[in-house]
Amino acid sequence: MATAHTLRLHRAMYMAQAIRDAMRVFEDFAKFSMERDGDHYAVAIADVDADVDGDLVGEFCNFALAHTIERKRRTPK
Amino acid sequence: MSQHTLERFDAETNAAVLSLDAGVYPIDVVYGAAYALIDRAYVLLDKESRADGKGSRFLVHLRGKAKLDEAGVQALSGEFGNELLSQALRRKVVKQNGKLIEEIVTQAIAGATGASLPQDFVDDDDDDLDFLDDPLGIAVPWEEKFSKKA
Repeated sequence: MATAHTLRLHRAMYMAQAIRDAMRVFEDFAKFSMERDGDHYAVAIADVDADVDGDLVGEFCNFALAHTIERKRRTPK
Repeated sequence: MSQHTLERFDAETNAAVLSLDAGVYPIDVVYGAAYALIDRAYVLLDKESRADGKGSRFLVHLRGKAKLDEAGVQALSGEFGNELLSQALRRKVVKQNGKLIEEIVTQAIAGATGASLPQDFVDDDDDDLDFLDDPLGIAVPWEEKFSKKA
């Protein structure tokens, strides 16, 4: 069964590049699209593969957050 | 006292929302605490302005990877609070001792590469001593040195 979710990730908390990385990593399991929506990035997740075992949306969030943190740590202030 | 509150808890979705005063916790501290929990929970960070327009707050959406009851979610949010304090202290210590840490690391790296050793450490003696020479008489046995002359 196809399910759709829209995640709203605040632009002050998440880096666009980290979200794109996450979209690329999970692209085999669902369809992703991202657009700016005010202070947020709206990430639409559709056609989640029914065979996916686990919480794809949760894993996507964690991946985007972890990559944002790692990228920010690498970037000199 | 930790400045975070459990806003909502939903047993059905196994999720909780914490709110933090953005004026109390810098974003790096929130990141650090979230990163520490990422192996046990799904974490989503958000930020919103206060209704009165004075400042803003961070919203931390936590959802346990394993099924949690209310006590479990309370424990998870408490752990997040502890991690916030730990990260805040860590940040303060690094800030206070940053210069010292930098100097120690610089010296360690310079020492390892052999670059810029202090002059005192450089052996520039050009004498022709080898290990058998004993100009100070250290190798002379005590008996020989101090025996009474017959």
